[in-house]
Amino acid sequence: MLKVLGILGVSAAMVLIEGPALLKKGLKKEMFAFSILLLIGAGMSIGNALQLNVPNPLAGLVVLFKPFSDFIFRLLK
Amino acid sequence: MSGNENISPRQFMILVVFFTMGSAILIVPSSLALYAKQDAWLAAILGVGTGFLFVWLYISVAKTSQSTLMELNEKLLGRWLGKAVSLLFIFPIFVGAVGVLFHVGNFMTSQMMPDTPIQSFYIIFTAIVVMGVRLGMEALARASEILFPWFLFLYVILVIFLFPQIKFEYIQPVMEAGIKPTTSAAMYFLSIVTLPLVVLLTIFPAHVNRLEDGQRSFFTGYTIGGLIMIIIITMSILVLGPDLTTRNQYPTFAMAKKIDVGHFFQRVEAIMAFIWLISLYFKLALYFYATVVTVSRIFNLKDYRPLVLPLGMILVSLSLIQYPNSVYEQTSNIAFWVPFMVTAGMLYPLLLLFLSGLKRVRRSYNKR
Repeated sequence: MLKVLGILGVSAAMVLIEGPALLKKGLKKEMFAFSILLLIGAGMSIGNALQLNVPNPLAGLVVLFKPFSDFIFRLLK
Repeated sequence: MSGNENISPRQFMILVVFFTMGSAILIVPSSLALYAKQDAWLAAILGVGTGFLFVWLYISVAKTSQSTLMELNEKLLGRWLGKAVSLLFIFPIFVGAVGVLFHVGNFMTSQMMPDTPIQSFYIIFTAIVVMGVRLGMEALARASEILFPWFLFLYVILVIFLFPQIKFEYIQPVMEAGIKPTTSAAMYFLSIVTLPLVVLLTIFPAHVNRLEDGQRSFFTGYTIGGLIMIIIITMSILVLGPDLTTRNQYPTFAMAKKIDVGHFFQRVEAIMAFIWLISLYFKLALYFYATVVTVSRIFNLKDYRPLVLPLGMILVSLSLIQYPNSVYEQTSNIAFWVPFMVTAGMLYPLLLLFLSGLKRVRRSYNKR
């Protein structure tokens, strides 16, 4: 629980650092991108802190590229 | 607007040097020796030599784009397909960034401070990188200019004091297993050292002052970085021997422990760690800057700075998720890294060149 609170605190600090300038300049698109990325980041961190099973993007890449890799290295054995 | 930041060709050269040898200087010797045994140094020379072709390829892409890779994508592939390809291109950049961060954490926990949790290294290192990227490209480039002489000085000291430990028996017999193992080692070398340079196309023609001098500094930077790599790989084979080089996860670090001048100047491996952390810092900062700029260009944002902090958070958590341990890192990298980088660093720029050539031909045909 402490870890989750810490992550939420860090996210709040980020909002405090970036928020006022964004509000003052009225950059809507930037605000939108910032909040989405922050949501993803906080979600991933909390999932990781609670040791939930967050999917690993690398596993997909390995499945996708392994046949080619095997082929190349078999060619050069 | 982020497009106004310009760095000089000299600064760009230094950044290319750091980017070329960045993470490679500590991890590559071991993998090369795994494939090519005592011929690892030949593989390094072969890799650097072939790499010039790729640098030439990237420079020609830069010449056709005159701006960033993202804009070239949109120009050649149309607005939506171009944006989709740019979005896909974030994959190699971000996977590379996460890999660099993992190397920092893994190196510190396994070699220097074993009792500290890896998360703390991730968070501290990312905090410095985020700070640098928020200050902008110019500040990063000036920092690299300040640190470069120190880096070279420490590197030269390391190499010179290793000379007494050299044993020439270690590289004999030359080419014992034939050309094939050396070729596969050279390919691995290319995929780690040269092909990631494609990431620099996100900043290269747009943020460097003069295109002509920029091209030359790309070449010089790559040459210096390649020479540094060749020397360090040759030294690690000559000093440790192929067997120990394969067995150590960080052979260059183990090699630095061997320095002993008159039983007085010894245990200076912290120098090696210092060199490595400097170069890793700039490599990670460039990767991170490229990610942030790519994202902000895709969504047409006016300023990239608001994205830096949340992306830093994603970077830290992703490096914990993506590489849970070093065994997973090594097995997965062997399984996918080479074809992955070939797709991003060779096929993709070639496709862009082909399309722009096609477009030029069609335009001259229409004129007639």
